Amino acid sequence: MSESTKSPLSTAAHAAAPGDAVPGTADPVTGGISRKGLSVGTVGVLGALVMGISCIAPAYTYTAGIGGAVGAVGFQVPAILLLGFIPMLLVAFGYRELNKAMPDSGTSFTWATRAFGPYVGWMAGWGLIVATILVLSNLAGIAVDFLFLLISQISGNEAIAEITRNPFVNVAVCLIFVALATWVSYRDVSTSQKLQYGLVAFQIAILVLFAVMAIVETVQGGAFEAHMPEFAWFNPLEIKGGLSMIVMGLSASVFMFWGWDVTLTMNEEAKDPERTPGRAAMLTVISIIAIYLLLTVSSLMYSGIGDKGLGLTNEEIGGNVFFALSGPVMGGLAFLLSLAVLTSSASSLQSTFISPARTLLAMGHYGAVPKRFAGVSPRFFTPGFATIASAVVAGGFYAVMRFLSEDALWDTILALGMMICFYYGITALSCVWYFRHQWFDSGKDFFFKFASPLVGGIILLVLFVITAIDSLAPDYGSIAIGADENGEGGIGIVFFIGVGLLVFGGVLMLVQRFVSPDFFRGKTLSMDAPPSLRQH
Amino acid sequence: MTGSIVVGYTATDAGADALALGTRLARATGAALRVVIVLPSEGTMSKAVAPERAYEELLREQARTWLADAAKTIPAGLVHSAHVRFAESFGEGLQAAADEFGATLLVLGAANGGALRRHRLGSVASELLHASTVPVALAPAGLSREPDAGLPRITVATGTRPGAELLLESAVRLASASGAAVRLVSLMPLDVPAGLNTGAITLLKDAHVDQVLASARDRLSGETDVEVLQAGGDSIVDWLPGEIVLVGSSRLAQPRRLFLGSTAAKMLRELPVPMIVVPRTRAEGA
Repeated sequence: MSESTKSPLSTAAHAAAPGDAVPGTADPVTGGISRKGLSVGTVGVLGALVMGISCIAPAYTYTAGIGGAVGAVGFQVPAILLLGFIPMLLVAFGYRELNKAMPDSGTSFTWATRAFGPYVGWMAGWGLIVATILVLSNLAGIAVDFLFLLISQISGNEAIAEITRNPFVNVAVCLIFVALATWVSYRDVSTSQKLQYGLVAFQIAILVLFAVMAIVETVQGGAFEAHMPEFAWFNPLEIKGGLSMIVMGLSASVFMFWGWDVTLTMNEEAKDPERTPGRAAMLTVISIIAIYLLLTVSSLMYSGIGDKGLGLTNEEIGGNVFFALSGPVMGGLAFLLSLAVLTSSASSLQSTFISPARTLLAMGHYGAVPKRFAGVSPRFFTPGFATIASAVVAGGFYAVMRFLSEDALWDTILALGMMICFYYGITALSCVWYFRHQWFDSGKDFFFKFASPLVGGIILLVLFVITAIDSLAPDYGSIAIGADENGEGGIGIVFFIGVGLLVFGGVLMLVQRFVSPDFFRGKTLSMDAPPSLRQH
Repeated sequence: MTGSIVVGYTATDAGADALALGTRLARATGAALRVVIVLPSEGTMSKAVAPERAYEELLREQARTWLADAAKTIPAGLVHSAHVRFAESFGEGLQAAADEFGATLLVLGAANGGALRRHRLGSVASELLHASTVPVALAPAGLSREPDAGLPRITVATGTRPGAELLLESAVRLASASGAAVRLVSLMPLDVPAGLNTGAITLLKDAHVDQVLASARDRLSGETDVEVLQAGGDSIVDWLPGEIVLVGSSRLAQPRRLFLGSTAAKMLRELPVPMIVVPRTRAEGA
């Protein structure tokens, strides 16, 4: 480019090339959301599919979530998985609409604020942050178990796998993992696409291998408690135990599908915004459902649903099923499964860390939390302070939980399901309300902006309320707080994690409202509802 | 020197050093200053992180604030502008910016962790030194805290390898644009294989060195004030405040192992002054 195309520069204020003018002062934060100067997207269908699977991390999600689902609905896990997918799909449509209309790093926080105002928006943001911090601590906890298991499998010394039961060692190693993940996220360590593709392919291959080996051993009579698959496993009407059990199972199912919508919400980032996200989302969903069904059916066949030994309702193994099953099922190849879970946890740690950090950043940006959270690292261009803050809280949370209960992983998953239902539900209803003038613009609008998110959002919020009420029971979760000397009474710990953290968030919100009220007066991020686009 | 100087800026100490050096050179030569922040495309370098346009926008806004703050430190009277660019890597983005603005010079700071007044090449600088078609100026750590003493003298570290011609040409251009004096230092002794001790190095000085320096002096004389000096071992000479070293990248463009292992690299690491590395081959159309 020649010199003449550049604006002549004055001495006092400086001009800039077209399209990237730098004002003399920083842009004031305005009520709207800016979107300009976008370049062509880079993500294709395959890239989005890999991203989706990598974000869900099926090896991790399955080992962490399946125990809870089986505990609730027994053999009907395949049915509850299919059922749980429905609200997630409906809500994802709402996400896509919101992301198209208002792409913003604050996602749920920003959208709920625009639709329902600062208080609802704040709580939605808080729900997202709590959920992602819970899953971060859980991911790291699972990774610790598998690290020791992997070492013991490779060295042949079984005692090493038991080291993870020592809370001090466990917490120390977990904190090291969290620190490593923080370092990677903070520095935005570059990960190549090849590596990511390789990890995802490896993960899927090993999961299929596990399923095949479990089925073969069952057929050959080597299973722990052999069962042949039945159609009843896929029939939700066969679920016994009533509404509470269905809700609990759905909660686990929601957790297992959490994150797949990342593919659907890629709009401008996709090479072909019209088609890529839809195809990628469809492919991701089909692959994930297929792999989950294969895994659930094969592990049910192999283990059954007893509460002893390798039975899937045994609370000892429920929070980390592969940890117990990999050796018996895969024998000498078990280390591969450990490796798959470890790499799956590790590779989703980085993408998971982005969520709370960027949401906190956006909240800081709009003044919903102290400004420090809006700080961007000038070297690595990541939300530095927010990343470190998330890591400290996730690590601290895990440490406290691990000392309170050895089955902390399991409690975390239950609370996590509750939290996802909470903020996804609010986000879906935000979509409905935000687009209230456009519901009847067309049949498509009616379906994607009104009907789908409305139904999905209501289902998730109902799940949230029922889970919250059920979790009051002392036997919900691994321990009860406030139990008497005989271990009777008290309130389940899951209630304290789930509802407790939301109440805590509400208190923080009021403090911030008192200290820095601008956001809460709608000065930084205003409520809005786009008008109907129909020609009158 | 007309044209423009592109400063690879970050809102860090290293970025401030780069900006300070760019400012000095722009003032001395009358070039326009283009302060550029290169941000990762879609907000991340990692393929494991979902790309997000909204975050990219947020970064752009933040970068503008940084650039606006940086502009306040640029003295009045300089022609300057600020730009935000997105690229897959910092080096790639700077290279593209250099092309875009027809830059005659790229300016970088030291990598973080460099000792005060010393160079430490970061990955970006290494990448650019091996690929850039434009001279690259490296600011030692802490430069921004030193007073601007103008550009009194340019020391040209020359050798006999290919590239010396272009190096002298650049020196002449810079000297005539800034009115600085030129001092020639022979790097001949440093061209011997690494591992020879300095006793052996001094013995290698021969008539050839004198010849090279003489021809260089002939080229430069008449236009500028030239002084010739032979480097004989470890201690390289005295430095004026504001002085700059010009070296050819022929030796630097070798694989990095050689680059860091050679005596020349040792010298460069010890340099307390800014250094400009001139590419061996001429940039097309320059």
